[in-house]
Amino acid sequence: MPDGDNLVTLTIDGQTVSVPRGTLIVEAAKKVSVEVPVFCYHHKLDPVGACRLCLVEISPGPPKPQTGCTTPVAEGMVVRTNTAMAVGARADILEYELVNHPLDCPVCDKGGECPLQDYTFRHGYPTSRIDAPRLHFKKPIPLSEKIALDRERCVLCYRCTRYYDEIAWEQELTAEQRGIHTFISSQFDQPLRSIFSGNIIDLCPVGALTSRVWRFESRPWDMDHTASVCSKCAVGCSVMLWQRRNQLVRVTSHENDEIDEGWICDRGRFDYTEVNDPKRLRVPQVGGRDSTWDSALEALVAGVGGKKLGISLRQDVTNEELFLVSRLLAGPWRGARVALQRRTRIPAPDGDTLRIRDLDDCKAIVVAASDTADDVPIVNLRVKKAVSKRGARLVIVNPDNLDLDRWPYAFHVRNEPGKAAGALLELAGHELLSEGPVAILWGDGHGTEDVVALGAAAQQLAARVNGSVMPLYRSTNERGALAAGLAATADDLEGCEALICFGPPAFSRIPSSARFVAVWDTVLRPEHGSPDVVLPAVSFAETQGSYTNLEGRVQFLRPVLPVEPPLRESWEVLCDLGLRLGVGGIDFLGIFHVQRAAAEAIAGFAALADPPPPQPEPTPVMYGPARP
Amino acid sequence: MAADALRGSHGPARQHLLTADFGTPGLHRLDVYRRCGGYGSLEKALKEMAPEEVHAEVKTSGLRGRGGAGFATGTKWGFLPKDVPGPRYVVVNADESEPGTSKDRYLMENSPHLLLEGACIAAYAVGAHQIWIYLRGEYDKPYRLLTAAIAELRREGILGPSPFGRDHLLELQIYRGHGAYICGEETALLDSLEGKRGQPRSRPPFPAVKGAWGRPTLLNNVETLSALPWIVMHGGAEYAKFGTDRSRGTRLLSVSGNVEKPGVYEVELGVTFRHVIMELAGGPSPGRRVKVFWPGGSSAQVLPESMLDTTTDLDELARVGSMAGSGGVIVMDDAHCVVRAAHRLLRFYANESCGKCTPCRTGGNWAVRTYERILAGEGSALDLQILDRIQDSLQNGRCLCALGDSAGFVIMSTMKYFRDEYEEHALRNECSAERTAAVHA
Repeated sequence: MPDGDNLVTLTIDGQTVSVPRGTLIVEAAKKVSVEVPVFCYHHKLDPVGACRLCLVEISPGPPKPQTGCTTPVAEGMVVRTNTAMAVGARADILEYELVNHPLDCPVCDKGGECPLQDYTFRHGYPTSRIDAPRLHFKKPIPLSEKIALDRERCVLCYRCTRYYDEIAWEQELTAEQRGIHTFISSQFDQPLRSIFSGNIIDLCPVGALTSRVWRFESRPWDMDHTASVCSKCAVGCSVMLWQRRNQLVRVTSHENDEIDEGWICDRGRFDYTEVNDPKRLRVPQVGGRDSTWDSALEALVAGVGGKKLGISLRQDVTNEELFLVSRLLAGPWRGARVALQRRTRIPAPDGDTLRIRDLDDCKAIVVAASDTADDVPIVNLRVKKAVSKRGARLVIVNPDNLDLDRWPYAFHVRNEPGKAAGALLELAGHELLSEGPVAILWGDGHGTEDVVALGAAAQQLAARVNGSVMPLYRSTNERGALAAGLAATADDLEGCEALICFGPPAFSRIPSSARFVAVWDTVLRPEHGSPDVVLPAVSFAETQGSYTNLEGRVQFLRPVLPVEPPLRESWEVLCDLGLRLGVGGIDFLGIFHVQRAAAEAIAGFAALADPPPPQPEPTPVMYGPARP
Repeated sequence: MAADALRGSHGPARQHLLTADFGTPGLHRLDVYRRCGGYGSLEKALKEMAPEEVHAEVKTSGLRGRGGAGFATGTKWGFLPKDVPGPRYVVVNADESEPGTSKDRYLMENSPHLLLEGACIAAYAVGAHQIWIYLRGEYDKPYRLLTAAIAELRREGILGPSPFGRDHLLELQIYRGHGAYICGEETALLDSLEGKRGQPRSRPPFPAVKGAWGRPTLLNNVETLSALPWIVMHGGAEYAKFGTDRSRGTRLLSVSGNVEKPGVYEVELGVTFRHVIMELAGGPSPGRRVKVFWPGGSSAQVLPESMLDTTTDLDELARVGSMAGSGGVIVMDDAHCVVRAAHRLLRFYANESCGKCTPCRTGGNWAVRTYERILAGEGSALDLQILDRIQDSLQNGRCLCALGDSAGFVIMSTMKYFRDEYEEHALRNECSAERTAAVHA
């Protein structure tokens, strides 16, 4: 919280504003609704002052205009963005950007949410005096399966290369040649392989970097959007789901400084096409033939009766579904084995664990037994930010080399697989951890580590070095499952005679012992084999519910698509099942009733009693729906 | 090589502060250089003077940077923070790429030890132990001479843990550039030195505070540092006796173009360009007149013949709307077309533009294409308006570094004094310069 001593008062276009010391002029201007256009500046990247679009007049100062994106505020500063010099400078720069920019607007996916369009209308010259031929490049260039590059549209703001360098610590994108012939390309023309590559689509202020998955799908004004939570891993980044004509057409970031700071990984961004799959299950099936919900649920109850039951849960099973499943397991299905897809075996934490945003303030970060870029990608980015921008020291405990080793001052303890606990304990007293707070992130080494011992070692180390632990769960709602008591029951479903498979099967296969298989999923997958009963499931884009992320934070989904009959919401199906099985008190009238009951029944779900309102608050639209 | 050919000014000996011993056979060797008094200054500084005293002498001398900006050297040295622990660096800007300038090469080829001595003095004065020479990649001969000279210094222990017995480690490496004019710009040079694309950085922070690898860095031109041995040996007050009030000392001018005796001349600051061009360099060929000259490299605003009596004083040049720059005096006579010359220069700037900032990258290229239209006979009044707009939007802080401003100066100054030639070309597709050339041919 900024205190009075830390505030600086200045005047922007005649309006007085007080902002924390160190704020840049372009950010201060936003506070008084003055728009200073920017291309190369991005609030999450280091400022460079390359595009020169944000020129403003500052006094006291030199008589020439200064870039507002590199100049921090000073007490008593007077900034003018609407003098003839500043206005002319901005219009000139925009004209220059347009000199070689192709007239692609009708076919460019960025149109409608394009800062170049918007700024030209708001700050540029009304007519053009450019009639010379423009520079041409071969286009579009596929940078990867998901991203296309159009070099003619590129305004060379270098956001993409800087993002890769500063945030993702990778050098996949580079600029080649110089001067007017500069163009962006991937290193050695290799396809982009990074899991963080998709963010350049959101960063690019023009249509140079576009999503091939969303290519030509829609115009921004044709889409409805809703802020929800990503369902692909335990970090739980805030995402924006966009729909057009009841199809989920794209996923972007909904900036949340508590967790993701505006970045999402490629899993969250591109793995949504299943929702629109034409082979999407919509109608229940029994014995391979279309049926009704009634018949299918009857068949399921009958098929399960008297057999050793195994339940495989999808990694993004919601808290509400977990609550209802736990009610079924408390009653007629007592004794069933439950497996959670993709889970680590890390037990529930003892107390509070480190919050992701607190990584920013850590003086040292220990990452043990986890390839964070694969397990918890956005936490990996947050660690990189703390290390490279905020001076945190980095200690890695892992048998293999990781992407974090690119930091030249990283201290890497190469433990034998399975011996991370001992390595952690040896770190107590190391000079790199002498200054706290220290963050201790630890995972399960993909099954190679004894998580109980490792957890205890992490806690011990934390106690000795003024640190906090962050166990790195992998399944989206692993902590929810732990809270409901459902995560830790089964390592293997072999031996189960009846299997209910909610989502993709845990361990990627149906156990051979299963004589009756019921599948409840959005699509039928090869791993499912030929199940006896098939129930169509709603996807994450249609689900109401909540996940508990690895911090223990309960976050609520917001569906962007309606549930079209004969699809039924999961809670409804579970309640129906419960009624058929004779479970009492399960005839809930709506999702809110489920949530309130869950909040009362399970301590970890207390937050469910207070779900947020259905519509998000409108975000102030200064630059169009997707951020520049 | 004849001693005469190497010698700088043909004037009186008192102007030979830098080039006094040039022409001595073997001057590039340490033993010969020492016999001429070389390294006496470094020894004096290390053994008898505190770093602050060396700094004070430089301040008293009034020496101003000879790379182009003309900033007071003593003041620049003072920008390095005193109380920041950790390494600090001296970087020598030997990336001489300004068109019309060859003085640094002249210095390095004739007396590489002069530069090395000056760099070591500067390192001692600002508390640095590591020196880098960023040398233009194309400068093969200076590279070989400098490398050999450095090896000699290492053998003698002048580069090492205790030069002349003083406990002040001095280490020096050469880094060769890869062919970019922009890497002569301070911060682009530092980026290139760090192994990145040579593109300028936003300033502040300035290199003195955050330079190479984020450390305080002193960046000086070859000629500036080469003046230090004389200053330390004779004292700053003696140096200040040369030159003018605000431009003390001497400097090397590289005179080229349509003159009878092109070459590098050491002059006392304050002499007129008429003296330099007509007397020292012999003026244009018989029958020709000086039409236009660039007083300080192609980046300096041009001056017409009528202003030949402008002096080489840095402030006076600024007052008349030009600049002393790198001291590269380019002379053009009346048989050549100014518009063509401007086009050629714009092609240089557009080619050398690093591409980081929008106005220089796009404006430079747009200007080149406009010139081509004009010279191809397809010009119009609109093209002159375009050139006018471009030159305005390249200057005054619009660009990230001075390369953009320089391109703007070319257009602006040539249009200011030779607008009639521009209009000839654009509106009537004629060239009076070519007519003049034909008559005299």
